Amino acid sequence: MGHFMLRRMLYALPALIAVSIISFLVISIPPGDFITRTAELRAAQGDIMPLAEQEAMRRAYGLDQPIPLQYWNWITGIVTRGDFGYSFAFNLPVKDVIWPRMGLTIVLSLASLLFIWAVAIPIGIYSAVRRYTVGDYVATFLGFLGLAVPNFLLALAAMYIAFAGFGLSVGGLFSPEYVEAPWSWERVVDLLGHLWLPMIVLGTAGTASVIRIIRANLIDELHKPYVTAARAKGKGEFALLMKYPVRHALNPFVSGQNDIFVDIVSGGTIVAIVMGLQTTGPLLLDALRTQDMYMAASFILMLSVLVVLGTLLSDLLLAWLDPRIRYQQG
Amino acid sequence: MLEGNPMQNRVYHLGRRMAGTTLLLAATALPSMAQDNAAMCPGGFGQAPQLQAMVDAGNLPPVADRLPVEPLVVQPADGIGSYGGQFIDSWGGGNVADFRQFGYDPLVRWSVDGSTVEPNIAKGWEISEDATSYTFFLREGMKWSDGQPFTADDIVFWWERVENNPKVMTGGPRGEMLNNGGKPTVTKVDDYTVTFTYEQPNGLFLQNLAGPYGQRVVMFPKHYMEQFDIDLNPEGVAEMMAEAGATDYAAWWKGNVGSYGDASQFNNPERPTLLGWIGQDSILGKERVTFVRNPYYFKVDPDCQQLPYIDERVWTLAADPEVTLLQAVQGQISMSPRNVSTPQNRAVFFDNQEAGNYHLVPATSCDYNTAVLGLSVNHPDPIKAEVFGSKDFRAGLSHAINRQEIIDTVYLGQGEPFQPAPLPGSPFYNEALAKEFTEFDLAKAAEYLDKIVPMGPDGVRLGPDGKPFSFAIDINADFRPDTVDAYQLIERTWKQVGLDVTINFHSDELFGNARARPDSDGAVWVGENGCGQLPLVNLGRFMNDYGYWSLGNWSGWAAWDIKRLNPDAELPEGWTPVEPPANVQRLYELRSIIPTTVGEEQAALMGEFTDLLAEEFLTIGIATPAGFYRSVKNEVHNVPESLIEGWLYPGPAPINFETLYIAQ
Repeated sequence: MGHFMLRRMLYALPALIAVSIISFLVISIPPGDFITRTAELRAAQGDIMPLAEQEAMRRAYGLDQPIPLQYWNWITGIVTRGDFGYSFAFNLPVKDVIWPRMGLTIVLSLASLLFIWAVAIPIGIYSAVRRYTVGDYVATFLGFLGLAVPNFLLALAAMYIAFAGFGLSVGGLFSPEYVEAPWSWERVVDLLGHLWLPMIVLGTAGTASVIRIIRANLIDELHKPYVTAARAKGKGEFALLMKYPVRHALNPFVSGQNDIFVDIVSGGTIVAIVMGLQTTGPLLLDALRTQDMYMAASFILMLSVLVVLGTLLSDLLLAWLDPRIRYQQG
Repeated sequence: MLEGNPMQNRVYHLGRRMAGTTLLLAATALPSMAQDNAAMCPGGFGQAPQLQAMVDAGNLPPVADRLPVEPLVVQPADGIGSYGGQFIDSWGGGNVADFRQFGYDPLVRWSVDGSTVEPNIAKGWEISEDATSYTFFLREGMKWSDGQPFTADDIVFWWERVENNPKVMTGGPRGEMLNNGGKPTVTKVDDYTVTFTYEQPNGLFLQNLAGPYGQRVVMFPKHYMEQFDIDLNPEGVAEMMAEAGATDYAAWWKGNVGSYGDASQFNNPERPTLLGWIGQDSILGKERVTFVRNPYYFKVDPDCQQLPYIDERVWTLAADPEVTLLQAVQGQISMSPRNVSTPQNRAVFFDNQEAGNYHLVPATSCDYNTAVLGLSVNHPDPIKAEVFGSKDFRAGLSHAINRQEIIDTVYLGQGEPFQPAPLPGSPFYNEALAKEFTEFDLAKAAEYLDKIVPMGPDGVRLGPDGKPFSFAIDINADFRPDTVDAYQLIERTWKQVGLDVTINFHSDELFGNARARPDSDGAVWVGENGCGQLPLVNLGRFMNDYGYWSLGNWSGWAAWDIKRLNPDAELPEGWTPVEPPANVQRLYELRSIIPTTVGEEQAALMGEFTDLLAEEFLTIGIATPAGFYRSVKNEVHNVPESLIEGWLYPGPAPINFETLYIAQ
């Protein structure tokens, strides 16, 4: 097992180097840079930025250097000092921009993940066991609806209903008085009061797909001989279901969780923008739009690292869940 | 307010009549002889209860000591207000123009109606006969928000250590401070008198100072800023830069100190200010920001109460305009921001007035056109350069635009057909320029087009080389979405006259690159700063030469002009001078000369400028912008009956936000 882990990690290294180069190139290749973008945004406000000022800014930010040199400076900073570079737009080191938002992002993502699992796994099992009953049809119908409706649309609709129907304040994860307040018990309560709406919106599509995965896999397992054998031995129906076929049915679900970290960090970007949530997703989008390149490249690099880590983790989890995989991999 | 003070009035005539108001720039000269402000308000000054409590506790000097000897008395729009409350704005996260409702307290300012320049931080000024020297009189006893005196030294510090310091302003002073390229000398006469002297007459200095960039003059408290100056405090700056992990001084300065236009200017709550409210915390990356009353603010109401009335200015982040719109119609923000207060959203705003507890205040726009099309007169393809450089082609295009249909369907019936020209009501309005070729007439359009791009055998027009002629127009689909609708209608009528045109709609991110491409055929942008006196400080835009910025490729003419002014000047990469036609050459000359003239001479040259523009017809417009408004919460009082939107008049900031109050 240790050998297996080590080998997987070594494989990841060249992938990470390639990813770092590609993510930097992706940001640098399009024509224009942060300065041209700033100048265009200023122009949209009526403020035409003199060319001399642009050139001066470009020199100051080091954007006049050749791209390979810029890349080298950036990547050596990360490797040697853990310094991800400077966000031009926020005028702060990249890590100082991303980390403060990470906490809320993780809370929101974990909350919606738990929501998905808590709702979807029982419903999936139910609709597999009680196939073609009214309950199954209702779950299936709602599931497809959840899959089909885009999240941002759901967010807009939910916000409008919250506003028009209940007069609730929309946008953000906190009431105005708690937005920039230090953490306190009241602030946590306030957060919980706002968290449920984005949690449900983010969770619906996920819920639907998990229901479908569990249902389909479980149906395959339910009629296998080992189930009949266990039943013949007089094992209770619920314990039997949980111990054997459900465990099998979870396999594809677990291996599908390799992008769980990416979802946690950047999931629901569009929903977060629509609902005005202070999470990391909108940061990434803004960084890309304004060509705030160290910020964007660092973000993409972090996401890629998380994909690699997530894949590793889901492999290990699968090996733990299913002995067959353990033996095959040696 | 100045009764009893020896006062001398000198009147400087600087323009023609505008909209019934005589354009006069009054100069109150001679500093006041008063020793304190007790005579002005024998009953003493009033102040906010919070400040009174601090005075009582001994934490703050009495209000009379905090105010200058001659505070500026501001006449509120409706009446005397009361202290308290919050004014809540929505913002996108730290850009200057989100602060267009905040941060306007320059040395001299636009009057609320935008017609004249008035005293503000300077209580008066004197202009020499030949308009080369401007002397400003500051307010004795005026203080920064930390209680330190504001004097002529602060202005000299800004000029020497900021504007002319190549280590922070690597490109030199901003153009607004220059006159035909020449720098002024800035001299401290005494603590409360400062003189700007130019070599040539400067006819536009007051207007430039009253615009947003004029704010730079009074935002650098010498006693506080010296610590950030690498020459005055080398070790300290090195330490701060090392702590921030910065290597370049100019970048660090821009990001941590900053001037007007930099997001950092409000990011440091420690930085003393002259504005009405001061920050409590850094703002970048924050979701909700609160600014509180400046206890040293230099303005009072006619009842001797210190302004501002409102306790707190709050900005609440909304990254998405739809969220901003929802917040506004829910009544969560005190005044709707410009980006959602569009004619297209008017119905939504109107319907929710009662529920959101707000009303709509009409706003006129200083924009002189909803959409201006500039064609690449210096296109690298000589055929295209010839066609786009032809007035007949442009006149043909213009006649083939059904402006009334666009106004009726896209602009909801608001506005009138208009070319890029000073607005009616501006002293520089020129009807011939404003209305030429605005009539929708396909036959006339064909007649003009036939002269340069004759109709080919299969219904497509041919270029001067006899080959089918096609062109494309670049449009920013995000900036002003109405432009998209308008140009879809225009595309249809242009095709009817046999033009092979493609309209490219770009996202905001990509438009900049599309516009700046040398072989872009033409691009569309809004026309800004066309009301009142603003055309004077905006001549370049009417010629589609904003400096380096233009719609379509204009770089040849722009380069010619740069070389005309300074044969040794270095040209931006890829620019080659192209000699413009005689009329355009004269326009460029006028652009240089007009700012150095005053009075009748200036007015006459402006007349020549607009006449030449009419003769050349350089750019094509659609309509005057109309139908603007802002939602204002019913609890907010002293908002004028109508507002002005603009940039060089940075509306609505000049409406005296310090006099607004919240009814309890």
